[in-house]
Amino acid sequence: MKKFLALFLAALMLFALAACGQTPAADKPADQPAGEITLDVIICEYGPNTKEWFLGKGMNGTNFVEKFEKENPGVKLKLDVVSWNDVYTEVDTRIANNNAPDILNIDVFANYANEGLLLPVKDYCPDELFKDFFPAFIDQSVIDGTVWAVPDLASARAMFYNVDMLKEVGVEVPTTWAELEDVSQAIIDFYNGEVYPWGIDMTTDEGQAAFAYYTWGNGGGFVDKDGNWAVNSAENVEGIQFALNLIEKGYTNPNPATQTRYDLQDMFAAGKMAMLIAPNQLPTYVADKGGNINMATAGIPANAGKTGSSVGVMDRVMAFKDDSAPDQAARNEAIGKFLTFFYNPENYVGWVSMEGFLPAVNSAVEALVASDPSFTAWLDVLATCQFYPAAKAEWDQVKQGVIAAEQAALSGADIQAELDKLQTELAG
Amino acid sequence: MQTGLNRTKWEPYLWLLPSLLLIAIFVVFPILIVFKLSFSEISKAGVIGGFVGFQNYVEAVKLPAFKTVMLNTLWWVLSVVGISTVLGFVIAMVLNQKFHGRKIARSILVFPWATSLVVQASVWNYIIKYEYGSLNNVLLNLGVIKQAINWRSSYQIEFIWECGVGIFVTVPFVAFCVLAGLQSIDGSLYEAATMDGAGFWGKLRNVTLPLVRPALTVSTVLNIIYVFNSFPIVYTMTKGAPAHKTDTMIAYLYMLSFYERKKGPATALSVIGFLILCACAGLYMMTVMRKEEEQ
Amino acid sequence: MKNPELRAQNRRALVFLLLGLALAAVLASLPLFHFSAVVYTKKSPNTFVGDATYQSVKAEVEALAESYREQGLEVSLDEEVIERVNSKGETTSLVSFSLNESFGKNLWSFLGKGIPSSLAALGIVLGLSLSAVFAMLGLRGSAELPVRYLDRRSRMLRNAACVSALLALLLVPVLLMMNNYAFTRQLSLYGADLLQDGREQVYARMDRFLFAGTLGENASKTLSGLQYSASGMSWLLLAAALITLLAAVQLRYGWIKGPVLRALMYAFVVVVCLVTLYPYYVMLITGFRSNAETLDMYFLHMFPTKWIWSNLTDIVHRGVPRYLLNSLLVAGGATGVAMLCGIPAAYAMARMSFRGKKAFLGFVIMSQMFSPVVLLIGISQLMNTLHLNDTVFGLMMINAAFNQAFAIWLLRGTFVAISPEMEQAAMIDGCGTLGALTRVLIPMATPGIVTALIFVFINAWNEYTISTVLISTNANRPITVGITQFSSFNMIEWQYLFAASLLATIPVVILFMSIEKHLAAGLTSGGVKG
Repeated sequence: MKKFLALFLAALMLFALAACGQTPAADKPADQPAGEITLDVIICEYGPNTKEWFLGKGMNGTNFVEKFEKENPGVKLKLDVVSWNDVYTEVDTRIANNNAPDILNIDVFANYANEGLLLPVKDYCPDELFKDFFPAFIDQSVIDGTVWAVPDLASARAMFYNVDMLKEVGVEVPTTWAELEDVSQAIIDFYNGEVYPWGIDMTTDEGQAAFAYYTWGNGGGFVDKDGNWAVNSAENVEGIQFALNLIEKGYTNPNPATQTRYDLQDMFAAGKMAMLIAPNQLPTYVADKGGNINMATAGIPANAGKTGSSVGVMDRVMAFKDDSAPDQAARNEAIGKFLTFFYNPENYVGWVSMEGFLPAVNSAVEALVASDPSFTAWLDVLATCQFYPAAKAEWDQVKQGVIAAEQAALSGADIQAELDKLQTELAG
Repeated sequence: MQTGLNRTKWEPYLWLLPSLLLIAIFVVFPILIVFKLSFSEISKAGVIGGFVGFQNYVEAVKLPAFKTVMLNTLWWVLSVVGISTVLGFVIAMVLNQKFHGRKIARSILVFPWATSLVVQASVWNYIIKYEYGSLNNVLLNLGVIKQAINWRSSYQIEFIWECGVGIFVTVPFVAFCVLAGLQSIDGSLYEAATMDGAGFWGKLRNVTLPLVRPALTVSTVLNIIYVFNSFPIVYTMTKGAPAHKTDTMIAYLYMLSFYERKKGPATALSVIGFLILCACAGLYMMTVMRKEEEQ
Repeated sequence: MKNPELRAQNRRALVFLLLGLALAAVLASLPLFHFSAVVYTKKSPNTFVGDATYQSVKAEVEALAESYREQGLEVSLDEEVIERVNSKGETTSLVSFSLNESFGKNLWSFLGKGIPSSLAALGIVLGLSLSAVFAMLGLRGSAELPVRYLDRRSRMLRNAACVSALLALLLVPVLLMMNNYAFTRQLSLYGADLLQDGREQVYARMDRFLFAGTLGENASKTLSGLQYSASGMSWLLLAAALITLLAAVQLRYGWIKGPVLRALMYAFVVVVCLVTLYPYYVMLITGFRSNAETLDMYFLHMFPTKWIWSNLTDIVHRGVPRYLLNSLLVAGGATGVAMLCGIPAAYAMARMSFRGKKAFLGFVIMSQMFSPVVLLIGISQLMNTLHLNDTVFGLMMINAAFNQAFAIWLLRGTFVAISPEMEQAAMIDGCGTLGALTRVLIPMATPGIVTALIFVFINAWNEYTISTVLISTNANRPITVGITQFSSFNMIEWQYLFAASLLATIPVVILFMSIEKHLAAGLTSGGVKG
C-alpha cells in the first residue's frame, strides 16, 4: 500500500513538473523577431471539417494556418476554432479583460461596434476585395454609414418536402398558410398521425428563426418600415399565433421548445416528417445520416395575399482595435493580408463548399457553380432573402426576447401580452 | 489538541501558508473581482465601466424571470440533495451487507461520479428523446410498451428529468460517505442494542443514525454547495426552455450574461446566490455542529 | 426430533402450493390473450363515396374478403370515410377499407406452436407442476423433521421445488413481454418492410399459432395488421406463481421472511446497478454505431447491427489522445498540488491549537461557494496578470485551489482520528515535525489521503467551464472541452461524442477501481470525524 501511494504521489509530481515545463503558448512577444506580427484569430466551428481545414490536414494535406504563414512571411496566426456553444463566453470574457482577439468570426457585431471595439472595415480591407463582396450583404453590417464587418459566408432557408409522401397522400405542395393546414391534416389522416406533417423549432438556440418565418410570411417582422423595433405588431401576433395553432392541432413535432433543428432534420431524414424549413445544407445532411429521401424545395408558405420571404443567415468576420499594437498600419495591413488570403477563390471555394454554405463574394460564384449546378438556384434564393436586423444594438435582447415570448406562449401564456411586454422593454 | 512539544507561536500559520496562498490567489482574488463587478457598469460586450452602486442588484431583482428561477432553484436543491441523501443512505445500508458481488456493485456505483456533468446530461438527453431515444428503444424492444412515449411532454416533466439526472450523479457521493460512516460503527453496539430488545428501526434510530450523522453532514453541506452551483445539467438538457421555466439560478445567469448580455444584473445575481448559499450552508452547519457538541 | 406441529405446518404450506398451482391452471384455461387482426387495409385519398375510384377499390376489397372467407376466416369489412372541408371550401375525402377478425387465446394454446412465447409458456406450466411434484417428494417421510435435520435427498428436492417455482415466477413477465414484442412490434416491423431476416419463418409460425395455418401465402398481409392485447387478469398468473414460490420457500427454509428479504436485497442491488450502467450501455452502443444507425427512428436495434470500430480511430485522428493527455496532466497536477498544500494545512488544523482556526475552516468552505462560471471574468483577469492564460499549468493551479476545501476537511478528519502518540514518539527520537509527518502520520493516514486524491482527481478531470475560457490553443485543451468539437453548427456526431466520452470515463473508473477498497476505509476515518 505504501509503495502504491509513493508511486502514485511520485507520478503526480511528475505530472505537475511536466505541466510546469510546458511553455505558455500565449503572450510571448519577447521572442518575436522585430517587424513580425501575430494575429489572434477566433473561428467558429461550423462542422466536422472546420478544425481540420484550419489546423489539421484538411486543406489538401496542409492547413490554412500553415499555408497562410508560408505565403505571408512576417505574419503569424494564433488561430483558435471554438464551438458555437462556448464562443460568446470566450469572446466576452476576453473583452472584459482587454484581451480581445484581433480577428473574430461570429454572427453578431452591433454591440462590439457600438462600444467602439471594432476597426472600420475600410481601415484594413483592400479596395479590390471590398468590391468583391455582394453589396446586399455588406449593407447588413452597416451602422451609421460605416461598415464594421464583412460577411464570411451565408446560408439560405427554404421549405423542403418529402416528394413521395405528398404524392402518396395525394396533395399539392402548400404555398399559403391555409393550404399548409389542409395538407397537414391530410397527412395526419393518411398516416394515422405517425408522420409529423410540419416541423417547428422554437428552442433557445434558434427560436428567432421561427419568429422570422411566420412574421415575415405575414408582412410583419422584427422592425417596422422605418427600421424601428415593432415586435408586437398585429401581423406578428397573428403569425406566431398561426404557428402555435399548428402545434396545438398536432401538425408538428411534439416538443418545439426543446427539439432543435438537428432533431427536425433527423426526423425528416428518417421519413418521419413530411415538410420543414431548413438551410440549403439539408440534402448533404440527410445523405450523411444515411437517409434516402426524395426531396424538393419550395418557397416558405405565407399568409394569403402576402408574399413569403426566404430567410438568409449570415456570419461575419470583424477586426478588433488594439491600441497597444506598436505599429497600427502594419497591423491593419496584416489583417488585410489575412482577408485577402481567406477570400482568395483558391482557398475560399474550398471553405464554403466544404460545409455546404453559400459564398459572400462574387469571385467564388463561378467556381462553385461549376462544381455543383444546384448552387445557381440557391444563389437566386439568396438574392431575394431577408436577414435578421443584426446591425441594431438591441438585437441580442430582441432575439432572446422573442424566443422567450414564443416559449412562454407554448406553455400557455398569451402571445400578444408577451410581445407587448418585450416591446415596452425595448421602448423603455 | 497539543502534542506536548513546544512550538513557536507562528508555526501553525506557516503550515497553513501554502494552502492559504493557493486559495487566496486563485479563488479569493476572482471572488473579490466579482464583488467589484457587481457594483460596476458592464457593457453588453463585456467592457467594464465605473461604479454604479446598487443599480445592478435592483435590476437583477426586477428581472421578470427572477421569481420563477428562484423557486426552481429551491426545488432543485431541495429535491436533488434531499432525495439523493435518502437514496444514498439506503444504498449504503444495502452495500454494507455482506453478499456475493458486493465489490462489483460498489465499483459500478462509482461510474456516475466519474463522468463529467456535460457528458451525463448529453447522454440522458439522448436517452429520453421521443423520436430516437434509447429509453423508448429498449422498452419497445423488450415489449414493455407498445407505443413510443414522449418523455418530455411538458416543462414540469422536463424539470423532473433534470432533477433526476442531478440525483443520479449525486447519489454515489452520498452513498460512499455514508458507507464509510457505517463501516466505522463498532459491531458490538448493535449486539448491545439487540440484547436490549431493539428491532431494526430501533437500531437504525439509536445506533446507526447518530453515528453516521457526521458523515451525512459533510456530504450534505458539500452537496448543497455543489448542487446549487451546478449548471451543466440544466444548460445541456433544456437551456431553461420554455422561457426559463426549467432554469436554475446559475444556468439562468449564464444565459443572462452571455445570451441576453445583461452582464451587470447577472453578476449581481451571482453575489445574491453566494449570500443565500452562505446563509443556508452556514446555518445548516451551525445547527448540526451544535447538536453534535451537545451530544 | 420429530415434531407433529411441524407436520401440520408443512401440510399447510403444501396446500398453499397446490392452491397456487390450481389458480394458475384456471387462469391458463381462460382466454386472456386477445387478438384482432386487421387482415387487410387500403387507403385511397381524394376518393368520394360512390365515384369510380371508390367502386373499383371497394370491389377489389370485397373480392379479397370473399377469398378470406373461403379459407375459413370470419372477416368483417369496415369502411371509414374522412371528409373534410379545406380552406378553399372544397371537400376532400379519404376512404379507408379494412377487413377485421378478432378472437381470444388461452395459455394452453401457446404450447408446442414453435413461437418464442411457447417456450416461456411451457416453462411456466412445467415450473409450477414440477415445483408441486418436488415439494411432495421432498416432504415424503420427512414432513415432521425441522429443516436443519433434513437428509440430503429431501433438501435437494425441496430446493428443486423452490427453484422451479422461481423459474415459473420469472417466466410470467417474460411471457407477457415476449407476446408484446412478437405480436405488436415484430410483426408490424416486418409488415412495414423494416425487418427482412427470417420473415417467412416467423410468418409461418404465427400463422400456425393464430390461424391454424390457413393463411398460407397471405400471411404477410394479414399478420402485419394484427392487434394484440393481454387482459389485466394475465398478471394474476404472477400472483399464482408467487403463492407457489412462497409455499416452496416455507417448506425449504421453515420461514419466509428472511429468505424473501435477502432476495429483495439482491433485487434492489441488481436494479440499482442496471440503472447506473444504463447510460454507459447507451454510450457504448452509440459510440460504435454508424452515423445512420444513431438515428434509428423505428427503434429496430438495441445493439449496433455492425460494430463500427473505425469510430475509435476517427476520434483518435481528431485529437482525442492529446486532450486525454492534457486532462491527465491537469488532473494529476492539480491533485499533486492540492495534496502538497492541503496536507500541511490539515496537519496544522488537526494537531495544533491557534487563534483563527475556526475562521480558517469557514474561509476554506466559503471559497467553495461561488460557481466557477460566475468567477470566469475574475479568473481570466488573474491568469492574464500571472501570464498563465492558455496554459495547462494555470488550469492545474485553479483546479488545485478549487478543491482545497474538501481535501483539507477530509484530511483533517483523518489526522484527528489517528492518535498523536506515534508522532510524539518519533519526535522524541529526533525527528522534526516534518519528519514525524512524512514518516509516521502520512503512512498511517494513507486511506484518507487516497480518498482525497480520488476526489480531487475526479473533480479536476471533469472540470469544463473554466477550461473553455482559459484555454484557447487547440493542443492545450482538456478532454471535456475537446469533445465539444463533435457537436458543431452543422451536425451533432453522436457516435463520436459518445465514443470519446466513454474513453474519457474509463481512466477515472480504472483509477477508482484500483483503489476502491482504500476509499471506503478512508472515508471512514475522514468523513466521520470531520
